[in-house]
Amino acid sequence: MATLEHPASLNAFQQFRQACSILSETSRASLPAWYQEALELDFQLHIRVDGSSVRTFFYNRPANEWGESPPLSEEAIGDDEQTLIFAGQLLKTVRGLKGTSVGVILHIADEFATAELKPELDNPAALGDLRDTAFNNPGEILDDSSVPPDQASWRVMPYPAAGSEVIGTTITISKRLSGFVAALRKLGEDENFPIVAHTLSAPLVAIAGLPSVIRPTAEKPFVAILQYPWFTVLAFFNEHSDLRLIRTLQHRGMRRPSNFRNALSTTNASLEFVDPDLFVLPLASDVDQKFAEDIAKNFPDSSVETVKFDPVGSLPPEIPEPGFAIQAIPEEEDSESHTFGVLRREKWFHQDFLPPEKEIIELFPSRHEMRLLRFLKLGRIGVAAVAILGLAWLAFGVVTVIRQPEWAFNEGEAKAVKQRLVNLTKERQRVDHWNNLLEDRSKAWSSMEAVARLFPENSGLLLKSFNHTVRPDSAPGQAQVGFIKEWIITGFARDEALSYLNALNTREGISAHFSEISKVTGNLAYDPAPNTRTIVVNVKTQENSSFKPMPLEQIIDSDEATYPYSFNLTITQRFESADALSIAATKAP
Amino acid sequence: MYKQSIILFGIVIPIVIAAVLIGACAFVRGKITASFDEKVLYYSGYENSRLGALAIEAQISRQREDYVRWNELLEQETFSLVTTNLRAIGETLPPKEFQQTAFERLGTSAGIGSVSAQKSSGLRFNFRGTFRTVQKAFLELETRMPNLQLQQLKIDPNSSTESSLLNFQVTYTAWES
Repeated sequence: MATLEHPASLNAFQQFRQACSILSETSRASLPAWYQEALELDFQLHIRVDGSSVRTFFYNRPANEWGESPPLSEEAIGDDEQTLIFAGQLLKTVRGLKGTSVGVILHIADEFATAELKPELDNPAALGDLRDTAFNNPGEILDDSSVPPDQASWRVMPYPAAGSEVIGTTITISKRLSGFVAALRKLGEDENFPIVAHTLSAPLVAIAGLPSVIRPTAEKPFVAILQYPWFTVLAFFNEHSDLRLIRTLQHRGMRRPSNFRNALSTTNASLEFVDPDLFVLPLASDVDQKFAEDIAKNFPDSSVETVKFDPVGSLPPEIPEPGFAIQAIPEEEDSESHTFGVLRREKWFHQDFLPPEKEIIELFPSRHEMRLLRFLKLGRIGVAAVAILGLAWLAFGVVTVIRQPEWAFNEGEAKAVKQRLVNLTKERQRVDHWNNLLEDRSKAWSSMEAVARLFPENSGLLLKSFNHTVRPDSAPGQAQVGFIKEWIITGFARDEALSYLNALNTREGISAHFSEISKVTGNLAYDPAPNTRTIVVNVKTQENSSFKPMPLEQIIDSDEATYPYSFNLTITQRFESADALSIAATKAP
Repeated sequence: MYKQSIILFGIVIPIVIAAVLIGACAFVRGKITASFDEKVLYYSGYENSRLGALAIEAQISRQREDYVRWNELLEQETFSLVTTNLRAIGETLPPKEFQQTAFERLGTSAGIGSVSAQKSSGLRFNFRGTFRTVQKAFLELETRMPNLQLQQLKIDPNSSTESSLLNFQVTYTAWES
């Protein structure tokens, strides 16, 4: 992974790119261990440094087992090369157990010092702020302003007991192991394998574990005396098992503090403790074993008890801190003591003395930011999918449209075809116009055929005159004009022809004749069927005044005097304006 | 420290880009659709015109030959054309059975022609002949000149000649262009 730069020195886009790079190239998004504390991880290496030895213990949390771990010497802690070799062995061990992370917990038991808070900060409600200030800017809260903050770490330790003169103190540990811790963390970054280091003060962890190993006398104060090779810690508790004071007595090359009796007596007096119970905790193999015996002689009125620890796994009895560190934090109702209740839950005893530098922490996105980044990556996929769907929707729409014949259509063709249609329409109107005018509505030859068929030869009829007229049925303003055809036929008839004339003098009779003529001539004007036509016939017969009866053999057909009757036949055929043969009143377009 | 940049570049800008893209897509598609709708309008008009033209074309193509012939007929001077045709028809018929006895140009349109704005003229002819021969002559004349519309036909026996001959008086309205 490329070298990271502090986000404050990057612009917004560079910050985003760096965050994406961390997301894609590290396991920070997938392994929550990067953001957990060392004591929460499944595999933990506990390193205890007490000045005389460096001991390591490996804890398998899922199996709840303490096991062997790679050895570590005091010299290796200060040597980067040996530190990396040790860390490499540790990673190999954890990977062999299919672990994905490891916590390294340093228990500092070779130094312990207290520094007083500024008297003006004596406000219990401000403990939370003091805790943060001790972490970020310890000089603001320390009474001794000459302490160099770059060489040591300070953590506030409250005194929750009622009646305490001060609200707490600060515990000081030097930063001599910061290089070792930083090397472990760096290796974790390089290997993309979470190595979470946590540096604890061993005496604080031991104090936190007291409820599991001592049984103080009810309603009586007690003092826990923690024996380490290089110093002794005195923790004073009131009758409610609440911490009132922590003192440390350096051995200064000896096996016990030289002023212990005086220090304990004066402190008891100042705290108004009367013959408190004294619990001696030997926390190294080479501490003074007669210390408790001597205390009992010097404080005959106090109950003096040497606390014995049961060995747990590979943990030796004199090193109980790793076991205390992994103990479950008690529930609120488990302890009436504020010290062993609230302070433990709030992890005052488990404060990290060598945390990563703030600038290094800020290099990486927080857990929340990594989750956000990961979630938004999915969100971007969704957004991209929507955008792609949008493009597909557009492409589909475009393809669908351009595949239609209408898309390739040229508007010029529409105009050309429209013009052609106009021309054709005009041509059709002209054709229709002339078709109408030239219809066979009135023809001489068909009229003569009608007469010939109306009066066949040897029918007993002699025609005298024939007059056929066609005239329009005038109705101004109409587009189509009807017309009237009239036949006036006069002639003579014999007796046998009267019945024929009578038959002709009916609508059915004349219609039958006209229908026959229409079929024979093909002239539709004689078709009586359309209801837009009417036909009227009228036959008048009367005696022929010039009739002269004569013998049959003398009768000549063309002799008018041989016909007893004369007749006058009038046929009127009317065509309405709605008839197909009506006359167009307009001019040709 | 990354939160704002993650939110900004992780989702806000992608959403803005996607929204702009989708908006652009919708705009482009809208434009294309509008253009297409316009083309469809033209195209449907074109199709209707084309189909209408085809239908009219099919309809008048059958009559176009007749129409051309009619047009040629109508463009000629009617009276002389009738005369010419009657002369030609008369040559094919027996002279005794078809004789033209008189002809008259009536001038302005009357009868059927009077009700139409279309130009027309009146013609009157007198013939003497037999019924069937004269009918044949009329048939031939009216076939050659469909623009002749019969206005009146009178048939009377010819008292001064042989009984088989008849007098015909025919009046036509002739449509003209």
